[in-house]
Amino acid sequence: MSGSSVPRWLLGSIALQNLGRRKARTGLLVVAVAISSAMAFTGTVMMRSIEASMSVGFSRLGADLMVVAQDALTNITPALLTVGPTDQTVDADLIQRANVAGIARSAAQRVFRTERSGFGGHEESVDLISFDPERDFTVQPWIAERLGRAMGPNDVILGAARNLPLGSEIVLFGKPFRVYAQLARTGAGTHERGVFLQSASLIALAPAIQMQTGQWPPMLDPGKVSGFLIELAPGATELQVRFALLSHLTGIKVVTGGSLLTGIRQGLTALLGGALALVALMFGSTAVMVGVLFSAIVTERRNELGLLKAIGARRGQIIGMMVIEAMVATGGGGLIGVIFGALLLRLFERSLIYYLTQMGIPFLWLGTASAFVVAIASVLAATLIGAIGVLVPAWRASRRDAYDLIRGEG
Amino acid sequence: MLSCRGVGKTYRTDRGPVDAVRGIDLDVAAGRYAAMVGRSGSGKSSLMAMIGGLSRPSAGKIVIDGTDIWSLGDDAIAHFRNRRIGYVFQFASLLPTLSTIDNVALPAMLNRNSDNSDSYARAAKLLGDVGLGDHFDAYPSEMSAGEQRRAVIARALINDPLLLLADEPTSDLDEQTESEIMALLLAVNRARGTTLMLVTHNLALAHEAEQVIQIANGAIVP
Repeated sequence: MSGSSVPRWLLGSIALQNLGRRKARTGLLVVAVAISSAMAFTGTVMMRSIEASMSVGFSRLGADLMVVAQDALTNITPALLTVGPTDQTVDADLIQRANVAGIARSAAQRVFRTERSGFGGHEESVDLISFDPERDFTVQPWIAERLGRAMGPNDVILGAARNLPLGSEIVLFGKPFRVYAQLARTGAGTHERGVFLQSASLIALAPAIQMQTGQWPPMLDPGKVSGFLIELAPGATELQVRFALLSHLTGIKVVTGGSLLTGIRQGLTALLGGALALVALMFGSTAVMVGVLFSAIVTERRNELGLLKAIGARRGQIIGMMVIEAMVATGGGGLIGVIFGALLLRLFERSLIYYLTQMGIPFLWLGTASAFVVAIASVLAATLIGAIGVLVPAWRASRRDAYDLIRGEG
Repeated sequence: MLSCRGVGKTYRTDRGPVDAVRGIDLDVAAGRYAAMVGRSGSGKSSLMAMIGGLSRPSAGKIVIDGTDIWSLGDDAIAHFRNRRIGYVFQFASLLPTLSTIDNVALPAMLNRNSDNSDSYARAAKLLGDVGLGDHFDAYPSEMSAGEQRRAVIARALINDPLLLLADEPTSDLDEQTESEIMALLLAVNRARGTTLMLVTHNLALAHEAEQVIQIANGAIVP
């Protein structure tokens, strides 16, 4: 409608009043959509919260596999695989080049042990460990406390055994760094006393290291790394990926972690994916139900639609009126569902989650802003379901001759 | 004003095609009162629907005021119906969820360039003219059949149409109300110069018409 807003209002008013004419049917439609919407909202918030909680819990389990040079030293603890300090290196594009299926994530690390960094006591051995913050999944999950900002190139993260306040300054090979964060206890010695910094920051120290030590550490060559930590994709097995890596690459060692933990992680990730697919399926079936219902409603109101066409309503106006009617009903249902879902979440918070927390099992709720986005998305999805559901019957009715509609045919 | 040439309508049914209207040629001059008579099922309502732009003919051409209406696109023919044709159907055809004045003003407001306050002013005057000046806010369910039919006539006149089509407008009314409604339609025809086409199977109602079109088996009886 490109003219006055009153006809649109009037057609909208007809649509609203039509909903009021069949209170029981409208009520059932609203309830059905509200249930779907409540399940989608509650389910998504709960699953995202569980996922967030799991991602902290499971990411702390470290990598499933580690790829290092054949002669490199490695540490294996029940919870964490770490690259040991070594001069042995592998190519930085090794994993990318191997192109092996079954790898979900890989993170490169450079580990450089030195007694001449100037940090700590006199000629104290310090492990400088570099990582790429964008790809890392084994260092940052262990952060116990941090400054309230993103990590920068002049920041370091200290292992749990190093006691320095956050924000304090340390000097490595003459260059000042700020203590950005401290890790929790990992049980892996390299991590406990390590100083972690971004890869580019460690590489940038190479000239200073060469001046101090007279040598250029091989792992500080931009094309080399000390090793890779690998997380397997759901369904992939350690044996499979290990075999594939060894058959594609030479001069490497593939170290495996605890297969039980890998299995649990993969299983739960798949379960969450399946639950989200179920929510999508449920919304889909609601859309089909709305479509069937509105097909019946359009059939019932053929006379009225024919009359509107007879007095000059255009096809777009007919379709628009039906779409408004459906969107109001399903959008209203969506809103009610989200409110009901929010109450359910409060109930969970006061019961199940409270007991989990009491038992020391951390549960991270989805942030308020994210939950709000999920709520809005649920209402919009419900509204959209109404629009999609009614579109085909309304479009078909609008194509019919007015006389056929008035006579109750078509 | 109205010209039909070779107009036909074939309905497709499970038992095969049915020719409801066959090759009708018809002319009605502007401002005339024409009555279309014939038995039930003779094809008069189908012909009326095609003339009114409500049902696409299977064959032929219908020209109203120089416009070949079935050559127009969907939106254009909707606009034509809205501006040039008024309908009074054989059933109560007010929208049940709108008040009387909203029902009457609606066709005017469907027009893109309408002024809404003007639409309501015209609707109020027309309701007054048909004797429903005190029923503006009444809903169809609160009015009698005769009052509803008066409101429908007011709605049909809201855009000052060239052609007023009335398809058995009094078939479900008592004798006295029938006379009142017919008097109202004739008054519109005479006072406004609106061409009136009335479909009826009641020969007495056709008696006053300036042109009587007899239809039988989908064709005009000479």
